[in-house]
Amino acid sequence: MQDLGWSGILVGILKNFLPVWISLVVLFAVSIRYKRRLGLYGKLFDSPIAMIGFALVMFWVFTAIFADLIVTHDPLAQISQMKNKLPGTVQPDGANWYLLGGDHLGRDVFSRVVEGSRIVVQIAPLATLFAFMVGISLGLPAGYYGGRLDTFLSFLANLILAFPVILLFYLLVTPEIVETGMPQYMALVLFLFPIAFLMVLVNSRYYVVPEFRTKVLLVIAVVGGYLYLSLVGEVGTKVAVLPNALDIIHVPGNILIVFVSVVFVNSPTVFRIIRGIVLDIKTRDYVSAAQTRGERPWYIMLWEILPNARGPLIVDFCLRIGYTTILLGTLGFFGLGLSPESPDWGSTINAGRKLLTIAPHPAIVPALALMSLVLGLNLLADGLREESLRD
Amino acid sequence: MSTKDYDGPILEIENLSISFFTRLREIPAVMDFSCTVQPGEAMGLVGESGCGKSTVALAVMRDLGKNGRIVGGTIKFKGRDLTTMSEEELRDIRGSEIAMIYQEPMASLNPAMKIGKQLMEVPMIHEGVSKEEAYDRALEVVTDVRLPDPERILKSYPHQLSGGQQQRIVIAMALMSKPSLLILDEPTTALDVTVEAAVVDLVKDLGKKYGTSMLFISHNLGLVLEVCNRLCVMYSGEAVETGSIKDVFDKMQHPYTQALFRSIPLPGADKNARPLVAIPGNFPLPHERPNGCNFGPRCDYFQAGRCDASEIPMFPVEGHDRHDTRCLKVAEIDWNAPLVASKTTEKAPVGDVVLKMDDLRKYYEVSANALFGGSTKVVKANETLSFEAHEGETLAIVGESGCGKSTFAKVLMGLETATSGQILLHNHEIQSTPIQDRSTETVSSVQMVFQNPFDTLNPSMTVGRQIIRALEIFGQGNSDDERRDRMLELLDLVKLPRAFAERMPRQLSGGQKQRVGIARAFAGGAKIVVADEPVSALDVSVQAAVTDLLMEIQRENKTTLLFISHDLSIVRYLSDRVMVMYLGHVVELGSTDQVFAPPYHPYTEALLSAVPIADTHVEKKRIVLEGDIPSAMNPPPGCPFQTRCRWKSKVPGGLCDKEVPPFRTLADGHQVKCHLSDEVLGSMEPVIKIAAE
Repeated sequence: MQDLGWSGILVGILKNFLPVWISLVVLFAVSIRYKRRLGLYGKLFDSPIAMIGFALVMFWVFTAIFADLIVTHDPLAQISQMKNKLPGTVQPDGANWYLLGGDHLGRDVFSRVVEGSRIVVQIAPLATLFAFMVGISLGLPAGYYGGRLDTFLSFLANLILAFPVILLFYLLVTPEIVETGMPQYMALVLFLFPIAFLMVLVNSRYYVVPEFRTKVLLVIAVVGGYLYLSLVGEVGTKVAVLPNALDIIHVPGNILIVFVSVVFVNSPTVFRIIRGIVLDIKTRDYVSAAQTRGERPWYIMLWEILPNARGPLIVDFCLRIGYTTILLGTLGFFGLGLSPESPDWGSTINAGRKLLTIAPHPAIVPALALMSLVLGLNLLADGLREESLRD
Repeated sequence: MSTKDYDGPILEIENLSISFFTRLREIPAVMDFSCTVQPGEAMGLVGESGCGKSTVALAVMRDLGKNGRIVGGTIKFKGRDLTTMSEEELRDIRGSEIAMIYQEPMASLNPAMKIGKQLMEVPMIHEGVSKEEAYDRALEVVTDVRLPDPERILKSYPHQLSGGQQQRIVIAMALMSKPSLLILDEPTTALDVTVEAAVVDLVKDLGKKYGTSMLFISHNLGLVLEVCNRLCVMYSGEAVETGSIKDVFDKMQHPYTQALFRSIPLPGADKNARPLVAIPGNFPLPHERPNGCNFGPRCDYFQAGRCDASEIPMFPVEGHDRHDTRCLKVAEIDWNAPLVASKTTEKAPVGDVVLKMDDLRKYYEVSANALFGGSTKVVKANETLSFEAHEGETLAIVGESGCGKSTFAKVLMGLETATSGQILLHNHEIQSTPIQDRSTETVSSVQMVFQNPFDTLNPSMTVGRQIIRALEIFGQGNSDDERRDRMLELLDLVKLPRAFAERMPRQLSGGQKQRVGIARAFAGGAKIVVADEPVSALDVSVQAAVTDLLMEIQRENKTTLLFISHDLSIVRYLSDRVMVMYLGHVVELGSTDQVFAPPYHPYTEALLSAVPIADTHVEKKRIVLEGDIPSAMNPPPGCPFQTRCRWKSKVPGGLCDKEVPPFRTLADGHQVKCHLSDEVLGSMEPVIKIAAE
């Protein structure tokens, strides 16, 4: 077995991503075939920009899904002879190659980047979704009622936005602060929003059909409440409600902190966007029509206003996943939150940074991965905005 | 070649075809359109929305956007073909020889630039004149468009002017370079009637003074009658009839033109004895046009096999001057056959009083600074509103923007609470009960139909779902199935196919949306319906159908209809009693006949004169109100109308400046808020006279 040249590396990488290529081709073929029936999603396939963006995003999503099939090595396994080896180097036992070389601990850079996509693809959209739930739940009443409530909430949002983000993260991960349970208490509050949001959503519409409403609310309360307690609580920490046997979701404390911080700093911006849209939409006649038939405020906000605000929100959602991805990278880079072992892109870039002059590849590869995903998300958002305006 | 001394027709459009290209298909917007505008002539382009009239105007400006393209024919401006001109040549012509005035004045002016600078730009760019000369010219045109204090106006920014003043500035800007052709695209639609009348007057006079030819685009036949010499009626992308005003209005030769005239409420129409005739069916979508005559499927004279066989060219009408029609059967149709009333209905009996307003007032407090209080101003949106409405009656509330009619509706609906006074609904006081504290019964019995059909339905909910929601809220039906059935019945009631339940609002036309809005209002068996300009945003042919529908439902349910409108033609047609409002005050209240005949309140008189009527037999007295409606923030002292009243000098002692006039009863049920003495009121002449045929 010999070390691979650049063409060999390229072929090797392309071959390893085979499941991703197949999925992408199938997805695009089906979507383009039926694009006229797929609404806004279908319109994406009329714009080359949006298609490139979507392909980049889906590439990483599929990579995350099929990570186990793609990786060539255990992302944590260290082979000491492979430290800082160049891309295409053969393993000492001759069984396989390090396609993109080894890092400072002799781990396979390729496998680590692939595995790292999992963390980003899981956390970034979910954290953004939570940020949206919080932003929407507070932005709707602020815009709709206006007055004191609006002044107060807008002030709060400005306060958070004015606080230096990195400093905030440093504070949140300081062991003394983690000891006090502060991040968990914040999680306690922030994660309550999605459940409250869903319950209000259902109640405002179905309170006229009480039996149905009660059933659905009960389901949400039980399922949502269980997930909520399981998510925020952890045996042995400040917040431990469920016994270990019942606690199905084990979120490592550090991930929870990252999650909370990301939601916390993103929601004020979402709040402001929502508030602006509501101020515009609430002057429409269909809102007056709802008011004159005696609809309650939350019905008007959630069922009359929110669905019609979806265009700008979807676009912002895409952009914001990109920001969150960068934010996660930044957090990893500063060594905040995630464990040093973690293959996430930010931590990897940070680890590679120290030896940049000797071996640049351990830092460059995850940096390119991060860039391509964010670029994809931005292009997708651009495409969505363009296409939603056309008809 | 100089185009300034050319003496042929200013504009010749021949067989013009325009298409828009979307990603799905080519959409033909205008087909085979021809017209000629002679020097000094005003040509009207009339048609319903979507008929292609604005597209023609944009094509003349060669401003069709990215998707639009001229696919055939020529547009000759002073003998030069515009369709083949380069961008450079076009830039030279646009603004200097052809000027365009758009519907929305605020959107045509640069908000960050002073008026004077914007006006001076025109001759400086096109003719390279000096700054001083440009300023003099600007001052001259601003004086010409009859704006008070021109020098101050030139120094102000657009937002400091009212809508009417802005539109005058836009007209002034268009006239700055003394263009040969002026294109006006619905120039007065965004303005109030009395302001509209003044602007139209101005356009007419200026056209004469400068000798400018005009292409006047409007959906309002009455306006076209006042402004134009000739007109061209368009339907679904084609010109269907063209000729002089007199010929087309009095001796129309196309079934569409005829149907159009039958669907507008002219003086003499009556909701019971001579109802309006709506044009059946819907406007065809551009890609679903029928073979042959586009109007065929909706035409009374349609003959299968002949009208839908092949494309129909324009035929000249014998014995008329340049009068063409696109109808095969023009010689066979008896155009003078009197209209057979399809159905006459009994007038519904007027029952007991269901709604009584007593001395209702609504004031808003506006503080100058929200955070630190500051001085508060009181806006008197409604002042001493008193009236009664009976069961099964139509009470029209007439007034221009800022007169307080919307505030009144809000107070009645419970979206706002009254400052003082009483609202009695079936003898319950509701003036200080906000809507969330009202019983379901009260809420469902007072409902509203909104003005803008494109805004009245939630765009992301199906039509059926929206009606069912109203049923749920009003506690109708015991199960989902029952409510579904009731919803389908409501669709039947407003004459929409049941299949529409599954449609999204964007798939419906304006008129259909308005019907859904009506169905929704009647979901809880409403007893009082406030209709806020329910048809003013609709096309004329659809207006008639929607109005008739409202009347029919009213007759069946004995509903009390509070019909808010500024369109006096439609008010005269359908209402039993009329209430005229100005700046929060009721200035006149009486039965329709009383209000529409002298003695008038001076404001009613001006309003009547301002409404354009599409009938050449009607003689109107021209009363043009000076100035704009005062702001409600800063109303004049004394009588609210004194700043614009032409009778003010007839009141001795300057009483109008000092005191708000008392509400006087002139005849049984006819009340006027005016200081004028009985003799002066008695000496008023009718504004509208129908000349003997």
